[in-house]
Amino acid sequence: MISSLAIVAFAALIHASFQLSVSMLTLLSGHAIGSKTAHAKLLRLTSGFLFGVAVMTMLLISFIALVFQHVFGNTVPLVAWAASCGLLLGLGVAVWAFYYRREQGTSLWLPRSLARYLSERTKATKQSAEAFGLGLSSVIGELIFILAPMVISALILIRLPAFWQLTGIGMYTLISLLSLLIVSSLIGSGHKLSRIQKWREDNKRFLQFAAGSGLLILGFYVYVDQVVSVTAFAYGGH
Amino acid sequence: MQQAIDIIKSSGKRASEQFNRNKLHASVLAACLSVRSPEGEAEMTAKSVCDAIAIWLATKPEVTSADLRRKATETLEKHHPEAAYLYKHHRLVM
Repeated sequence: MISSLAIVAFAALIHASFQLSVSMLTLLSGHAIGSKTAHAKLLRLTSGFLFGVAVMTMLLISFIALVFQHVFGNTVPLVAWAASCGLLLGLGVAVWAFYYRREQGTSLWLPRSLARYLSERTKATKQSAEAFGLGLSSVIGELIFILAPMVISALILIRLPAFWQLTGIGMYTLISLLSLLIVSSLIGSGHKLSRIQKWREDNKRFLQFAAGSGLLILGFYVYVDQVVSVTAFAYGGH
Repeated sequence: MQQAIDIIKSSGKRASEQFNRNKLHASVLAACLSVRSPEGEAEMTAKSVCDAIAIWLATKPEVTSADLRRKATETLEKHHPEAAYLYKHHRLVM
């Protein structure tokens, strides 16, 4: 039980290290402060964005877990574990290779047309409901990278009792929001956006390395824990 | 009266447009306010940057938007380095 929840927590921590939502929150706050928005409204916008991210994260992991439960029941076949580990390892290398663009700032892998569109949408966001929608779409935008930790977490969760499944989903959502919670509390407490953005830029290679390494470590651990050990046990039994 | 100066868009996909001092002022002001600069100080900084850019543009019939942004960043750097950082990188946040 503890080791299952620890894997879910680690996967959520990897999820938290991805930066599209943080970039969008930074832009949203920058435009709001720059257009003389009242502090209370700024807080409403950032809260709406955070709520949107939380809801979409919770919906996605619940949906993936539900699909797996329907397909596999409570016993996940080895091939599903192996495929998920392959996904983690592949994405780990992909994050190392091209998560950030090789230019100044914190430009992400996103196609430039999509980045421009999201940037314009963020700039045009004036209402909390729009910020909520923006939060929802930021999770979808990052789906290609967060899919792997979500898949592994879902595979782990479907083997747990119902209460612990809900606890795991809640824990995953909360931990995956950590980076956004930190940035929004810094903005809310009056820190300068330039310092937050400068920190992000100065540490982007470390964040990229940490996220990629996290995916590789998780993939390797789960492969050994769920595939190799089970296979070895089966052979040992004969 | 200042002559009309064409600003050529860097992407080349959008048509060029005439230099608009108000637009530059608003963008510099927003950058200053984004780093929690007091409103009066932000207004003064934006005005100083716009004045410097107007002098720089005086002898030019056309400039690219990238050059305009680079020159505005250089000028803003002297008045408010943190705002200049955001102004320079606002398209490179994601």
